[in-house]
Amino acid sequence: MKYDVIVVGSGVGGAGVAYSLCKAGYKVALLEKGKLIKREEFSKDELAYVRRDIVTPNPFEEYHTIEERVDGAWVSTSTYASGWSFWNGNIVGGSSTFMSGMFHRMHPDDFRLKSKYGKIKGANVEDWAISYEELEPYYTLAEELVGITGRANTHRFSPPRSRTYFSQAPTKENEVVKLFDKSCKDLGVTSLVTARAILSKDRGTRKGCYYSNFCGSYGCSSGAKGSAMEALIKPALATGNLTLMSNTYVKKLLCNTETEVESVLVLNTITKEEKQLFAKVFVVAAQAHESARLLLNSANKYYPDGLANSSGELGKNLLFSGGGYGYGELHKDALQQISFASLMQKGLFINRSILDWYFVEHWWKGKFKGGLVEFMFEHQNIISRAVRSTKSEHKLLWGKALGEHLVSKFTKSKNVRFEVFTDWLPHSNCFISLDKTHKDTYGMPVGKLRIEAHPQDVKVGEYLAKKCEAVLEEMGATNIRSVINALPPPNLIAGGCRFGTNPKTSVLNKYCQTHDIENLFVSDASFMPTGGSTPYSWTIYANALRVGEHIVKQLRKRS
Amino acid sequence: MKRRVFLILGSIFGLSSILSSKDTDVLKLSSSLQVKKTISAVQEHLFPTQSLLPSAKSMQVIEFLFETIMHKTYDKDIRLFILQGAKELERRERGVFVSLTFLEKERALRAYENSSYGSSWLSQIMVLTLEAMLSDPIYGSNIHQEAWSALGTNGGEPRPKKEYLFDEI
Repeated sequence: MKYDVIVVGSGVGGAGVAYSLCKAGYKVALLEKGKLIKREEFSKDELAYVRRDIVTPNPFEEYHTIEERVDGAWVSTSTYASGWSFWNGNIVGGSSTFMSGMFHRMHPDDFRLKSKYGKIKGANVEDWAISYEELEPYYTLAEELVGITGRANTHRFSPPRSRTYFSQAPTKENEVVKLFDKSCKDLGVTSLVTARAILSKDRGTRKGCYYSNFCGSYGCSSGAKGSAMEALIKPALATGNLTLMSNTYVKKLLCNTETEVESVLVLNTITKEEKQLFAKVFVVAAQAHESARLLLNSANKYYPDGLANSSGELGKNLLFSGGGYGYGELHKDALQQISFASLMQKGLFINRSILDWYFVEHWWKGKFKGGLVEFMFEHQNIISRAVRSTKSEHKLLWGKALGEHLVSKFTKSKNVRFEVFTDWLPHSNCFISLDKTHKDTYGMPVGKLRIEAHPQDVKVGEYLAKKCEAVLEEMGATNIRSVINALPPPNLIAGGCRFGTNPKTSVLNKYCQTHDIENLFVSDASFMPTGGSTPYSWTIYANALRVGEHIVKQLRKRS
Repeated sequence: MKRRVFLILGSIFGLSSILSSKDTDVLKLSSSLQVKKTISAVQEHLFPTQSLLPSAKSMQVIEFLFETIMHKTYDKDIRLFILQGAKELERRERGVFVSLTFLEKERALRAYENSSYGSSWLSQIMVLTLEAMLSDPIYGSNIHQEAWSALGTNGGEPRPKKEYLFDEI
């Protein structure tokens, strides 16, 4: 059988394309390396999902290597040795299954960062190949399909919206927002309601949020979370046009000519059977670093340095999210404005973000791109919170002292956390290539990620963290700390196949189609030349729907 | 480099001894009644009776620890490290750690903690014990959710119907 389209990867980037094509009547095969876990099979098993990472590959079988600068030299370590990897949920639906769903659109100026700020020393910043105005209709479409809930903000840095409302009200909030909003107001800061990819009410087969108190890192048992599976794959399956293949590892894409991909070579991870699958069009969306790796592993006589890599840009300018996090403790004894009982009410969200520092014009530091900050409760994982509380002055607490400390920690205070999102400036020492010595359990070379932050990223993160600490202090929090460093979080990865108008300096054109091969697209976050200062998910959803629509048009032209 | 550094810095035998160890070494150590008794005694000292938390003994945490570290998906180097760490503690205490008084055990463990090896080992035992106590009761500890109750909390719903140890989902 020859499919119309084969999509590699069932996360947000792959599902968006598959949905558009299936709805238009095309036959699609959606390939996913991980397993299928049904909604009714999810549980809040901290041991399984958080402590043992059962939804990521065995690190000894599948891994990558990470290259960091140590004392001036590049040192490579495999992720099985470090325990630090960029796997983010290898199951049908990808990492969106486990997201917290704090959704933000990028700002129009994020699409023209180079034009706005000029060249930044040591960074490879480029404007996007499209404008915000071109992506906006797809942000709105994603908002509707995913079920993004919230309140339209009118902040000076809020991206413009073609629709003035959200179709559902925000999810329920903890009373602590009264304290948060007042503290912001007293500081002259604007607090905004964060849009969430979480339904507040039932919609179709998806139930509204049931406030389980355990959201991020877990699959949703009501379908409220707008994961790729709930929002797009299930409706795509309902068309009868989607063939969903889980446990299917793609080894490489195969070509018979210089201008066309003919098939993918896949391996069933359970039976170990290998076979070729054929299609007219191929879309890669395996998460940024794995998409680049797959194309590099698909090198052939026409493209010896990696498929569709005539530019030499494949794998370059990898992006993460700059910034960091911080937290403060709200104590029973010192709490004002709200009761301690309401603070401790389980499950309800904070849902607050601040955009005031997205663009900064400082009297001394000058004009620079800032970022977004998000406020939330510390994750309620019980084991993880307890483990973090076992040390005092570098010594382990144990016995009665540990019991008293943990009981006090859990019953007399609650941590409010902030997360800082800033641009990760693209530069020449942040990229993925193939490791020359390491291979995974399927015999394919693993990816080698060279990671280094641009010094500006850390400076901006520190600037924003200080602002957030002031908010926590105003709230009456104590033990306020922030962690801003050059290490990226493992769950936000983009770039590596940046799009652009010049085939000599970019891998993809404005429709995320490779410049070199007409029937090959990349639809995850790989296309992004810069990442904005927001989490990527909404942008990936929107762009994947845009790419899907373009492929539909191309297929219609062909027929 | 967290995991390897932890093993290299922590190991009194050196990394090579861990990497060159055979499955039979692990089997021998894991089936040693003395090793099990030592780890159990350490857990009972870390989580004694008359604490605000349930005791290690009442929560049967030793069974959880062995079931966990002997599972096929558990890191085999850390598995061996945990077993060897118990042997080392006994060696330091001339084979009588289990029968020491409370105060003597406190002295022995604090002294052990002063070495990077002992500190890493005790941290591993602490983490595995907290995992036992505070995971879902389906895993055999946290009996009647007593540890959750002591902390005024409870796990999220829905709770797991199967242990990942026996069936990944």
